[in-house]
Amino acid sequence: MNNPTPPPDGAEKWEIQLRKGSLELAILAALWEGPLYGLEILRNLESGSDLVVVEGTVYPLLTRLRGLSLVASEWVESDSGHPRKYYRLTDSGRQRVLAMARIWSRFSASMSSLLAPLSQENPRHQQPGRQPLTMEKP
Amino acid sequence: MNLTAESQKSVDAYLAILRRRLSDLKEDDVRDIVEEIRTHILDKTSADPSPGRVDAALAALGSPQQLALRYHTDELVQRARLTRSPALLLRTTLRWAALSLGGMLVFMLSGIGYCVGGIFFVMALLKAFFPRQAGLNITRDANTWSAGFGAGSGPHTGHDPIGLWLIPICLVLGGGILFVTFRLGIWSLRWFARPRRHTPDLIAIDE
Repeated sequence: MNNPTPPPDGAEKWEIQLRKGSLELAILAALWEGPLYGLEILRNLESGSDLVVVEGTVYPLLTRLRGLSLVASEWVESDSGHPRKYYRLTDSGRQRVLAMARIWSRFSASMSSLLAPLSQENPRHQQPGRQPLTMEKP
Repeated sequence: MNLTAESQKSVDAYLAILRRRLSDLKEDDVRDIVEEIRTHILDKTSADPSPGRVDAALAALGSPQQLALRYHTDELVQRARLTRSPALLLRTTLRWAALSLGGMLVFMLSGIGYCVGGIFFVMALLKAFFPRQAGLNITRDANTWSAGFGAGSGPHTGHDPIGLWLIPICLVLGGGILFVTFRLGIWSLRWFARPRRHTPDLIAIDE
């Protein structure tokens, strides 16, 4: 195959941006099942998704989501000896995450369709006059 | 779970810097943020409160300066979106300017807008108090025309076709430019702070 491959650093940067762009949706989705505190959200993201989350980004983002009234928070006493700040989705947060999930699904499906030819790595499958897609730029 | 004295010292130092860096925010918000970060560190190290583990937990959060910047910028932007204070708006834009090229451009345009608007107001004032020295000054020599606008130390020698009309004209122009500049700043920050698209940029500032 004679396809140009993107430089690894370029692809990695794009992947980082993609993951960051997904973080807000991931956090809201993590709260769908019920209230969680910050570290639980982080662990939920790490175990339930492929997101590599920088811890210092989650708390400011949670604060921002609270400012947008998408999540609400309250301090709750715990067995650990110190209270924890639990976050839960508000009604508008639930509506927002549903809308975002719909957009994500639609976008993901259309991208999967567009990228389907890339999964056929055998060049003999290429149609005449049709070049395989490359991912030089997101 | 108790941290060792050494670990407690590291955590306290981290939180002290964070608190200091967040001092522009509301006191209740600062207390809330600092407590949440403290509980995060305690939870993260509950199984192993050794100094090495605590240091790793602090490192995973990023430096307190970086963490504060993330909170601070976002909070300022949220406040500035709703503000009617040009000073807060300009301060927020200045912080934004430190983060991105777009912010720098908006800051520069805002600065130019406020300066030009201010100059018109100053001209209106000068014309009101020094009507003979300030204003348009058109002179005609034998072969050339020249026109000037401003204030001099002595009376103008040329013709001022606008006269005292300069005052309302400058007030309207200056006010219009200041208003447009202010609205531009608000609009830019709202654009910057839109929920989906700008968080990643905000997050990306120091990674």
